[in-house]
Amino acid sequence: MKILYFAKLRQHLGKSSDSIKISDGKKISDVINELKNKNGNYRRAFDQVKNLQYALNCEYVDIEQTVRDRDELAIFPPVTGG
Amino acid sequence: MKIYFQKESFLVQENFEKFSKVNKASGSIISFVGKVRPITNNKEVIDIEIEIYKKMAIIQMKKIISMLMKKYKILDYLIIHRFGKVKPQENILLVIVASQHRKEGFRFIEDLVDWLKIKITFWKKENYLNDYEWVEQKITDRKIFLTKN
Repeated sequence: MKILYFAKLRQHLGKSSDSIKISDGKKISDVINELKNKNGNYRRAFDQVKNLQYALNCEYVDIEQTVRDRDELAIFPPVTGG
Repeated sequence: MKIYFQKESFLVQENFEKFSKVNKASGSIISFVGKVRPITNNKEVIDIEIEIYKKMAIIQMKKIISMLMKKYKILDYLIIHRFGKVKPQENILLVIVASQHRKEGFRFIEDLVDWLKIKITFWKKENYLNDYEWVEQKITDRKIFLTKN
């Protein structure tokens, strides 16, 4: 699955995307826990950036949403355009 | 009915005149321009960097417009939002709307910008002389979301 990071989260992680293999039926919260278990950098970044939002294939979703391996998941802090 | 997310700056007058010519039959044309403030939090802003998730921004913007077009009688609109580096006093956002009567146009713009601030995937980073700050979403903007939802 493709995971995109934006803004403050992207900066803390030092990268804008990841590609990981996941089994269908997992929740976004499971995916994030897997990422946090990768190393201290992920853990720190996800702990430091507050109020993260999630989008699956460009639609806002809840952290408990289930995902499929072919989905595009985006994780980012609240938007600030305009 | 056009939406542009672009790095390049834009000229308000030129866009307004072109839009007015196309919409000769409308009774009202209103424009809104969002700009970079030179000072925020008592700090001088050197420039701001606007990040975009373009694919999602386009999808979400179309959804918002489709919702607002059902709510207000709008004849035409033009929306330009910049990303990349933008300097103080430069333009970030342009919304021009044509309608038969002014109230529809004013309300359309107000709602559109309110939704944009909480749904459209742009993020601003303000660069000051010696440091920087990621702009945080305002509580007042989130409240608007709750009342409009």
